[in-house]
Amino acid sequence: MKRGPLGWLVLALAVLALVFLVLAPMWLVGTSSFKLPREIINRVPTWFPHSFTLQHYQKLLQTSAFPTYFLNSVLVAASSAFVTVILALMAGYAFFRLEFRGRDMLYRLIMVAYAFPSIVILIPIYLMFAKVGLIDTDLALVLVNVTFALPFSIWMMRTFFASLPRELEEAAAIDGAGRWKTVVHVLIPLLRPGIAAIAIFAFVASWTEYLFASVLIISDAKRTLPVGLSGIIGQYQIDWGLLLAGASLSVLPVVVFFAFVGRWFVAGLTEGAVK
Amino acid sequence: MRFKGQALAGAFALTVFGALPALAVTDVKIWHMEQPPHRVQRVQELIDAFNAANPDIKVSQEPQSWGEVYAKVPAAMAAGNAPDILFAIPDFTTVIRKAGQLDSVADFVKELDGQHHFIPATVEPYSYDGGVWAVPLYNMSLNFWYHKKMFADAGIAVPTTWSEWKAAAEKLSKDGVVGVGLPANKQLYTDQTTYAVMVNNGASELFNADGTLRFDNPKTVESYAFYKDLYKFSSPDAANWTWGEAEACFASETCASILQFSVISTYDQQGGGDAADLGVAAVPHADGEKSSSTIAYSNAAIILAKDAAKRDAAKKFIAFLLEPENYGKFLNMEPGLFLPVTTDGAKSATFWSDPLVVKYKPQVEQMIANSHAGMLFGFTGGHVFPAIGPISAQNILAETLQKVVINGEDPAAAVKAGQAQMIEATK
Amino acid sequence: MASKPTSSGRGSDGRVAFLLLALPLGLLAATLIVPMISAINISLRDIRVIGSDGPFAGLDNYARVLTDGTFWHALGISVVWVVGNAVVQTILALTAALVLNEKFPGVRVARVWIILTWIIPTVVVVIIWRWLLSPSGGMVNPLLIQLGIIDRPMGFFASGPAAMTSLILINSWRWFPFVAIMLLAGLQRIPGDIYEAAAVDGAGAVARFRAITWPLLQPTLLVLTVMGTLLSFNVFDIIWLLTAGGPAGGTETLPVLIYETAFKAYRMGDAAAMSVVASVLMIGLALVLLDRLAPKETGR
Repeated sequence: MKRGPLGWLVLALAVLALVFLVLAPMWLVGTSSFKLPREIINRVPTWFPHSFTLQHYQKLLQTSAFPTYFLNSVLVAASSAFVTVILALMAGYAFFRLEFRGRDMLYRLIMVAYAFPSIVILIPIYLMFAKVGLIDTDLALVLVNVTFALPFSIWMMRTFFASLPRELEEAAAIDGAGRWKTVVHVLIPLLRPGIAAIAIFAFVASWTEYLFASVLIISDAKRTLPVGLSGIIGQYQIDWGLLLAGASLSVLPVVVFFAFVGRWFVAGLTEGAVK
Repeated sequence: MRFKGQALAGAFALTVFGALPALAVTDVKIWHMEQPPHRVQRVQELIDAFNAANPDIKVSQEPQSWGEVYAKVPAAMAAGNAPDILFAIPDFTTVIRKAGQLDSVADFVKELDGQHHFIPATVEPYSYDGGVWAVPLYNMSLNFWYHKKMFADAGIAVPTTWSEWKAAAEKLSKDGVVGVGLPANKQLYTDQTTYAVMVNNGASELFNADGTLRFDNPKTVESYAFYKDLYKFSSPDAANWTWGEAEACFASETCASILQFSVISTYDQQGGGDAADLGVAAVPHADGEKSSSTIAYSNAAIILAKDAAKRDAAKKFIAFLLEPENYGKFLNMEPGLFLPVTTDGAKSATFWSDPLVVKYKPQVEQMIANSHAGMLFGFTGGHVFPAIGPISAQNILAETLQKVVINGEDPAAAVKAGQAQMIEATK
Repeated sequence: MASKPTSSGRGSDGRVAFLLLALPLGLLAATLIVPMISAINISLRDIRVIGSDGPFAGLDNYARVLTDGTFWHALGISVVWVVGNAVVQTILALTAALVLNEKFPGVRVARVWIILTWIIPTVVVVIIWRWLLSPSGGMVNPLLIQLGIIDRPMGFFASGPAAMTSLILINSWRWFPFVAIMLLAGLQRIPGDIYEAAAVDGAGAVARFRAITWPLLQPTLLVLTVMGTLLSFNVFDIIWLLTAGGPAGGTETLPVLIYETAFKAYRMGDAAAMSVVASVLMIGLALVLLDRLAPKETGR
């Protein structure tokens, strides 16, 4: 389709506005984490730093268990992503490739999972997990995170399965491959972009989770990044430099991670579908 | 299921610790809410020293956040994985008492009192219903902090009365400067500043001696009306302030003055750090009153452990903290914020030798002096009514203030509604 | 339902499906249904502090909660919150998706990095915006003054409506890119030749949007609306950390009220009753909306 000069102008303005909306706050946070404390809280803020210091990062790494929080978050998020993918594949295959009684009803029930206010199940879950010795374990967080990521992941599976022609599987079946061989050798490779998208979705959902992580985890050594960071905020003081350094350091690794896998997420969602 | 889980955990513990010699070590878990990293570090240093001196005891800390601890502790108590020592404030202690059986530590406090002499006002909020429910550890009181130079430049003396205070705030509020930074969010900080104004107008009592509420009285209404007058000179975002924003406002010299426990460490690191320019005074009192009072928090340690050996170990650690030499180090986990609760602690060399305390000595002395006139809502007049737990937890003082300064309700009506809400909360 | 049976035959499908679904559904049941039953049990008892026990109270808690104004007030605030988020996020996300659906230099990079705000933990989002909106060092006030939109620093949380608007914008800032990518996926599923045919017919950009894009995007939009409604109704952390429901109850949504009732007012029974009512409302809403989303649409 052709685009006139006016079209280009509107497009350029819209792109610029979006870039500003997403990147300007990041820029301010990132650059300010290197400013001296006085410049950070100055009544007249600066777009470009006038001072430079690493003191906030030093303080963050010296006095808090930031690297531990970070590793915990990675571990919990990666495990959650892995389990979510496995369960979503199982459920996806059942829902979108098999015929069975009650299928529609069950599928709908799964979608209804988001109707339970998470705040409601917080305390019952705590008491339940306490009974089976899951309090203060990573497994507790993985279970909760998978619960919240799974329904949406199953919904995403729907599009991915729909985009795969059944003829492929049928052809494999005619060639004499059994059901599981077909799944492993034909279906899963074809679903790869979709699997990547679900894994990333589950990873991010777990990476950002705060409420359950704050209550189900007790010891400092097991805290995830959001909870550890909220502890640094402190009760009586706000050290903006420290917080901005913490914010930057907690965003940076995900940015790096996303630089590698981000296109899979978008591709999985957009190109996984039949055009 | 329960047994299986424990058996599993036990098996795991055995494989991990099986190699160690079988020494009977008593574990003592501490939860506290002093989460900033440097405070945690200081507490850890003291724990390490204690553990080294007591090989049969292993103390460990798990810093928690005030935000979740109200949910977490009762849940943990119900689930049987509560800590052995819990740091708390008076109103939180009433809640803990409702969540589970607490044993009085009256004898222990008496014993410690014999050695270190507690300041009576710090023990009072924990002494009721025929027992003492926690061991006081540190005190905090709200002060009036100001920039001396800004006041001098404007030709204003430090206010001691409300009319002087209001005039000063008005005169200082120009060119983007906030005359007095006062919060108005629905949070503990606003409870504190509101009560600090109330106590300076003779409205310190929330309850009558018989436990009925007397919040709704003309003195309270006057206090709210005055807060509203002052709030006009506060920051536009004060409706969302916690302690940190107020300090940042002060340190950046946007706020000429604020009500705060201590600004010393923020002022030193993020503000100018000029000790000569940092002013601290008592919260101004109503024109009809003779002297200033303030709100003070006695923070204390609750012993939750039931097991006798654990209780003894916990007591040993608390006694260790209150030894003057350790106590000074303990208080200085946040220099200038935590004040001593014992008379020999107030003379501790390790307290006064901290570099920050040396630098801001006059200010710290003034803070200690102010703290002597400290009171806490619901814990005055020698009676403690359990009703204060939910009143405090729901921040009804602050909520009432929001109705006045944000919704513009009539102070008398808002205070009346506040009292109704308090009655409802205590049903 | 016109799906073809798979090679292994229809008869074994049920058993296989049962095996496959046992684990996912078992997990959801254990972490959602069981706690919910426990919540229902609590809602029928007079329990104050969590973990303590209380006598059976029948429907007393429900009666008290439903006749008390705060519940309905919070429900109203929740409706404003959900609708506000839906409107702001849909507008932002649709704009972004339409832009990203165009071809221009750098579009591939933009499609990946638009998502940046979504991968930031809520706690960090809170830190960022508390700082940006504060008068001590925050950039938003000076920027708005420079642009001539306001003439003096404003308090973004100074009143109920202001705080609600700020919260909605901050939450939308975080979520709109995710919705945009979902919509982009929907847009990409619209075959390009339809547009070309329309362009040949002389339809302008706006006409094309109204005749093709909008109707064909409906299914995706519908699902996102259902999910978005349920998810944003349940949002707790960002509100709690930024305003704690204030000022003067102006942002006290139902989850915030439930939390306060349970952990501040120590009325676990009342909180559970509110939760049950809220869940019933949300489940009802979800079922009505989801009626149009059964897997039968998948086949083709």
